[in-house]
Amino acid sequence: MNQEYQYLVGKLQEALACDARVGALDIKITIAHGRVHLTGQVPTEERRANVGLVAHELMPQLDVRNDITVLELSESGKPEAVGD
Amino acid sequence: MIRIAAVGDIHVGEDTHGRLRPHWLTLDQHADVLLLAGDLTNVGSRKEADALIEEVRDLPVPVVAVLGNHDYHCDNPLGVRHALEAIGVIVLEGETVTLELAGCTVGIAGSKGFGGGFAGACGHKFGEPEMKDFIRVTEEASHRLEANLRSLQTDYRVALLHYAPVKDTLAGERLEIHAFLGAYQLGEALDSAGCDLALHGHAHHGTEKGMTPGGIPVRNVAMPLIKRPYAVYTLGGAKAGGSGAGRHQRETLTT
Ligand SMILES: [Fe+2]
Ligand SMILES: [Fe+2]
Repeated sequence: MNQEYQYLVGKLQEALACDARVGALDIKITIAHGRVHLTGQVPTEERRANVGLVAHELMPQLDVRNDITVLELSESGKPEAVGD
Repeated sequence: MIRIAAVGDIHVGEDTHGRLRPHWLTLDQHADVLLLAGDLTNVGSRKEADALIEEVRDLPVPVVAVLGNHDYHCDNPLGVRHALEAIGVIVLEGETVTLELAGCTVGIAGSKGFGGGFAGACGHKFGEPEMKDFIRVTEEASHRLEANLRSLQTDYRVALLHYAPVKDTLAGERLEIHAFLGAYQLGEALDSAGCDLALHGHAHHGTEKGMTPGGIPVRNVAMPLIKRPYAVYTLGGAKAGGSGAGRHQRETLTT
């Protein structure tokens, strides 16, 4: 990763945390060869799209590949007996 | 036996309408209480607080919550708190509540907690005032948690946190951020006061099950981790309420 890309990762991480459209602290960002690659999980499709949007707004010169997934919930599952 | 449903990090936003409510409406079939372990909203705005109370209002079991760091982002955690309290949710920050559930008394000590790290890699009240303030917040929350747990004269005692009290339940998170995910002082408070179960969230990529050095079960119920609308833990098992592990543990640890 070149020097400029390292700072961009930091800036994008900050933007994804602080931008109210996303507010996510755990998006994984990789920047290489003119492309931003985003992975991680968010609660909704709208927030997934917003992650891509914020990345594009901050660095319009780069391609954005948005591989964020949306968290699918399963049933509540079996209770666990603790401390017995 | 009491049944505790718990989940944290639901990160409700204006875009999550109705995502949890259908699951929660039948909670009374599976649990006696719902505990929410913080990060209930995504940025803590008024609109998100409104969306949150639409999910939580009029559930068939009592709801007890702590806030998380996300609920503070808009600098109005009291707004989130008051919205929840207006619909009957019990919100704890350095406070306790005692509930009577299934014929047993259950005391819950709730605190957001804070970071600082774990043995061998943690911050100290050393150097700059900002650093001292950071660790002081953690210490104060931990001291209050310990005093609150000790004050509970109930059949069972549960600690409800947002930040992690042990490293076990962070397994899966990057080591570099452990100091922002929890603090050993919280675990120390649990062990010195004793309790039956400690619940937390915040570590979305951690591990559900852990234990304090003193043997108290710790469960990370962050929803991105458990991938369920809630997890259920039972206390008391086959033993009759009031004579179960909870009371025994309290007596041995606090005398
Ligand atoms: Fe969270
Ligand atoms: Fe959090």
